[in-house]
Amino acid sequence: MHVQTYAPMFMLFVAATAIATLFFTLATVLGPSKPSAEKSLPFECGSDSDGAQHVRLSVKFYLTAILFVVFDIESVFVYPWAIQFRSLGWMGLASMMGFLLVILVGLVYAWKKGALEWET
Amino acid sequence: MPALESLFPRDEFGLLGLIIALPLLGAIVNGIWGRRLGRSAVSAMALTVMGLAFALSLVTVCHLHSLFTESLHGGGGAGHGERVRLAWTAWEWFHTTGGRSGANIPIDLKFSVDQLSGIMMLVITGIGFLIHLYSTAYMAEDASYARFFAYLNLFITAMLVLVLGDNLVVLFIGWEGVGLCSYLLIGFWFGKAENAAAGRKAFLANRIGDFGLLIGMFLLAQYTGALDWDGIARNAHLLLSPSPAARVHVWPVGGGIYQGMWAFLQPANVVTISGATAVSLALFLGCTGKSAQLPLYVWLPDAMAGPTPVSALIHAATMVTAGVYLVCRLSFVFVLSPFTMTVIAVVGALTALFAATIALVQNDVKKVLAYSTVSQLGFMFLGVGVGAFTAGFFHVFTHAFFKACLFLGAGSVIHSMHAHIHDDAASQDMRNMGGLRKYMPVTFATFAISTLAIIGTPFTSGFFSKDEILFKAFTNHVVHPMKDKFAQRGLGVWEQPTWVGPALYVVGVLAATMTAFYMCRALYLTFFGDFKGWAIGEPSAAKTHADHDHADHGHGHGGPAPAPHESPWQMTLPLVVLAFGALFGGWLNAAPLHIEPLGHWLDPVFAQAVSQGVQIVGGEEHAHHLVWPLAAGGVAAFAIGSAIAYWMYIASNGAPAKALAERNKKLHQLALEKWRVDEFYGVAVVGVAEATAETCAAIDHGIVDGLFAKATSSVVAAAGFVLRALHTGIFHAYSAAMVVGLAGFGWFFIAPHAEASVNQAGGSYAIHAAPGMGYSFRWDADGDGKFDSERFGPTRDLSVSVEPGKTKQVRLEVKNAFGLTGSTTITLGTEAKKGAAVVGLR
Amino acid sequence: MMPSILALMPMLVIGFGALALMLAEVLTDAKTGLAVGTAVVLFTAAAFACAGWMVGPENLGDAAVFAPWLVFDRFTLFFEVLLALSGALAALVAGGYLREHGIDRGEFYAILSFSTLGAMMLAAAGDVLMLFVGLETMSIGAYALAGFRRGSPKSAEGALKYFLLGSFAAALMMFGFALLYGATGHTDLAGLHNALASESLRSPSIVIALALVLAGLAFKVSAVPFHMWTPDAYEGAPTPATAFMAASVKAGGFAVLLRVLLTVFGDERSASWATGWPPVVALLAVLTMTVANLVAGRQESIKRMLAYSSIAHAGYLLVGVVAAIRAPAQAQSAVLFYLATYSVSTIGAFAALVLCGSRGAEVVSYEDLAGLGRRHPAVALPFAFFILSLAGMPPMAGFFGKWFVFKAAMDAGLHGLTVIAFINSVIAAYYYLKVFVFLYMREPAAGAPIAKPMWSGEVVTAIALCAFFVLLLGLAPGAVLDAALAVGGAG
Repeated sequence: MHVQTYAPMFMLFVAATAIATLFFTLATVLGPSKPSAEKSLPFECGSDSDGAQHVRLSVKFYLTAILFVVFDIESVFVYPWAIQFRSLGWMGLASMMGFLLVILVGLVYAWKKGALEWET
Repeated sequence: MPALESLFPRDEFGLLGLIIALPLLGAIVNGIWGRRLGRSAVSAMALTVMGLAFALSLVTVCHLHSLFTESLHGGGGAGHGERVRLAWTAWEWFHTTGGRSGANIPIDLKFSVDQLSGIMMLVITGIGFLIHLYSTAYMAEDASYARFFAYLNLFITAMLVLVLGDNLVVLFIGWEGVGLCSYLLIGFWFGKAENAAAGRKAFLANRIGDFGLLIGMFLLAQYTGALDWDGIARNAHLLLSPSPAARVHVWPVGGGIYQGMWAFLQPANVVTISGATAVSLALFLGCTGKSAQLPLYVWLPDAMAGPTPVSALIHAATMVTAGVYLVCRLSFVFVLSPFTMTVIAVVGALTALFAATIALVQNDVKKVLAYSTVSQLGFMFLGVGVGAFTAGFFHVFTHAFFKACLFLGAGSVIHSMHAHIHDDAASQDMRNMGGLRKYMPVTFATFAISTLAIIGTPFTSGFFSKDEILFKAFTNHVVHPMKDKFAQRGLGVWEQPTWVGPALYVVGVLAATMTAFYMCRALYLTFFGDFKGWAIGEPSAAKTHADHDHADHGHGHGGPAPAPHESPWQMTLPLVVLAFGALFGGWLNAAPLHIEPLGHWLDPVFAQAVSQGVQIVGGEEHAHHLVWPLAAGGVAAFAIGSAIAYWMYIASNGAPAKALAERNKKLHQLALEKWRVDEFYGVAVVGVAEATAETCAAIDHGIVDGLFAKATSSVVAAAGFVLRALHTGIFHAYSAAMVVGLAGFGWFFIAPHAEASVNQAGGSYAIHAAPGMGYSFRWDADGDGKFDSERFGPTRDLSVSVEPGKTKQVRLEVKNAFGLTGSTTITLGTEAKKGAAVVGLR
Repeated sequence: MMPSILALMPMLVIGFGALALMLAEVLTDAKTGLAVGTAVVLFTAAAFACAGWMVGPENLGDAAVFAPWLVFDRFTLFFEVLLALSGALAALVAGGYLREHGIDRGEFYAILSFSTLGAMMLAAAGDVLMLFVGLETMSIGAYALAGFRRGSPKSAEGALKYFLLGSFAAALMMFGFALLYGATGHTDLAGLHNALASESLRSPSIVIALALVLAGLAFKVSAVPFHMWTPDAYEGAPTPATAFMAASVKAGGFAVLLRVLLTVFGDERSASWATGWPPVVALLAVLTMTVANLVAGRQESIKRMLAYSSIAHAGYLLVGVVAAIRAPAQAQSAVLFYLATYSVSTIGAFAALVLCGSRGAEVVSYEDLAGLGRRHPAVALPFAFFILSLAGMPPMAGFFGKWFVFKAAMDAGLHGLTVIAFINSVIAAYYYLKVFVFLYMREPAAGAPIAKPMWSGEVVTAIALCAFFVLLLGLAPGAVLDAALAVGGAG
């Protein structure tokens, strides 16, 4: 196991955490804190909030989200392929075209089935 | 018949295919288009195919006969012909393996006919035709006329397949097929719940029997490497191989050794039986199911719920004799085991007696005949069990005539009663009959003739067949075919005690006496005295008629009591023909008078079996002198039984019977309720099975759902497990069951298993420890209580030598991948002694 | 080049066929043709698999270049034919059923095809990762099919249970494979086998892995006590989906079971008769047969009865699997043959059940069958026929399936197990018989709703094909048996 190859990743991780922590700490420590009843109210863009805390979202939201995930994953596959494009050769191209074709058919299917229409 | 010979050579005898296909054609046409064709077309179809099949069977048997006569004059010389055989292969079916060498066994869809199956074929198609004819009148008013004939034709097909099959597998198809048809026909009038129950009972009893037949089939394939008759006959001697490996280990089961906590089950002597005994016992279990012998006879009396022609054809003349046919067919296998032969004979005799006692007191005329059938089947098995295959089979033949005639006669009476008494139980109750002699002369005459035949009136068919069985039971002795050879090698064999023969004779005579009594009783109650029927029929007739599906027979209901009428010619003609057969059929094999054409005809079929294992006590000469003295016993049985019946029911008009029943009320009641065997089975077998099923269902959905669900959910709640959110208790149960299963796997795999197999060769033993993932081993080979090496190592094999007469204890300890240890101790040196003391029914 | 494409053709045909079906559904109005289209696609795949069989897998050349994680041997090809045929028959049944019951949504056929593809991948998998992808492709399709009747709470409930428990089982199995990978460093089945066979490997994690994988496999073939989902899922699912699950999903499960147990865990130590999986599987077989047969007799619903019956059949098959460790070639081919007979019989039975009922008057309980034999003999006959085959009545296919499996077990010296299986097949006759009693010996109770048979060319075609196969396997089992034997010990 070559731990050192992962070193940059670890460093990035540590740096991100450190910076985030630093800013929060600084803001808490340095910022003035004068709580009042008015300030403690839930704030919703100027209007009074009402209704339950948990709102049932339309199922269409999940549908869209899942479709998003599918195409997101697609791009995750395409990136490494693009980097290795030359070494994979024609076989690699054919494979990726097959993969994209499947995704494309899926898109057409979802579209025609009306999965992308919000208003129905 | 050179023309036939050239058209159908011996090995390509396509006529057999035609004989089987004809009834099948009838079944298909009547089954599918029957309702549209109309009644007359259906009967025409059914009768045509049956008539043609009978005619072709006759041609076939005549052809067989000419071949047989040829062989008589050709090679045999001393009056003994050969077994002649015509065969036809439909197609090659599949292959299986078996035998010592794992030989390839081709199973073909092949049919063959020889002397034995020829007679069966004639009986099936001939009596089948008569009963079809009878049914056209008997079932004339039935709503499901076409369906009835479709089933009936299908039955004939299956029965022909059973009889003509050239190997056990084809026979088994027929065997299952007749069972299915019988089942469908028993439940034919499914309006009544008890009919369906009776059908189910028949099916279950037969399944138990079939189980035996299948096991027998497996074992035969294993031992002889063949399943066709010729192949089995050729290799039958392999069934007697005396080597311990070739014998069936009864105890300990499968030849294992009980160790550890089960050691107390280890017997001092290993109990083994020969392959022949195992095979024949398994096959006989199949026979007891199909032929209604103790302890599986219970279905046959209930099977009489079906239409009467069905009772006559299937449950008297043909299907139920399939067991006897199978024993005759494989006679050369059965004689190899004197033990099984004795079992068959004893079961047959006991069934004959037991069923007769029940028949003594039954009031339903069909029930009397049903128990009589069980009893007569017992006689047949008694015959074949003592090695008198010809006599046993001859009884099948004569019984087919007189019992079919009796059933059809009873059907004719019921038919006439039913016109006025629309309750089935009442119309079949002999107490409601009487005096029918005047109204139904033909039925009476034929019924009386058949009764005379079945009770063994001298020179009727029943006399010759039954007395031959009783005679052979007394004089025959079944011996182990290889007794002398085994004795030379110091091996004992099971021998039939000498008192068995006379005991069987006495039981047989007793049963015959009872037969005479109950049959005469049935005759007297039905046809003599005064007619009592209308007193019962009249009040209920008008009331129940409206919702009854039988059409009006044209007699005025509610008017002055009309006379019972004789049945139409379609019903009386078969009666007359069958009665003729019942009266004169015996002359085909009148052994005491040395008129034995049937005996000579069948001799070649049974030659192998009889020459191998059947001896005559005191020699042929001695037995010859016993013919008439022993026949006297049978005649006495007939005389005494019928005389008592006459005295009770004619001379004293039933008074003594009533008095006797009064005096022994409990006994009478018990006999009337058939010794309560059904109830016993209900509790013992069905009850236990139902209870187990209930328990399993309860566990599946009660305990698992309830207990586990609660247990898991509390665990789950405590752990705050995510499943808690699902709120479905049942789901918890399902996953809990899986977890329990997984835990079981884990438990088994993690526990250490120290097991070893031992192979002995002379005084040295090769011990082989069972391998396991991550297992290591250490041994104590010298028996000093300490391990040879403290360290666990990879050594799995050990060889130890033990001095003769001494024992040694070897210890094995294993450590598995989890560091857990387990050990076992193997005692060497004792098996040698056990091996020498193998006992069994060789 | 050409032969290697041939090896892939069955899967390619189904994959692209399914895509085409999806497009056809949304781009055209041709709803009625979808079932037939699916059947055509699957039959084509079966034909290609047959062609592959005739060419011989050894001549298929460099198939590994295209699909390195798939194994193309006769074992794979046998299952490809079996799975494609089962899927096609189920699709035909669906054609009639979905239309009749107003749930004629086209995605059924695409899901069914993809699920069949997954089952094929499962049978062909030569690598744990491929195996898992195949398993999930097959299973997710099956979950969706089980819940296809969206309006029915029963369907949803059954599907949800199936899905959750299925995920659970898949996770167990995956965990097992992960442990194996950790211990050996291999994900390919052959490599795993070699690693496990080496004496030096003694890690306890392999033993744990065996238990976990066994549990996952037992779930897929619904062996007791991993069977609890089966009756619920089978009962709730639309009948063609039930037929598909009972035949194809079970066949896929047995394919992977044989592959994993005989290849990966086929070494002397894992398959030891004292410490390995054979005694465990033998116990599973006994439990599965006995519990399923006893509980089946208690059922009121025909579909639940058939569900328990399918569990019982899994028990008989497990007997064959145990025997396969002693007599690999014979017992494994017996299992394959049994699967073939069982698949056609069970699909036929479900198809006949579909034909017995119509919308709003479906056959649910035994009572609904009462008197059908008299009112509609043409509908009752096929049902009775397939029930006889399931019961193992000669000369139907089911008899030979049992015959060969039991014979293999006998030859392997498993006398006790064979006797138990025998006794179980006797018990099973009891509840199969009940169908006969109701078909031919009962009249419907007064006022009871009467099931009306439906008419559908597709279902009748499916029944005719099933009946043909049942009779073929019963009357002339030679060809298929030879094929099963040719698969031999390659597992």
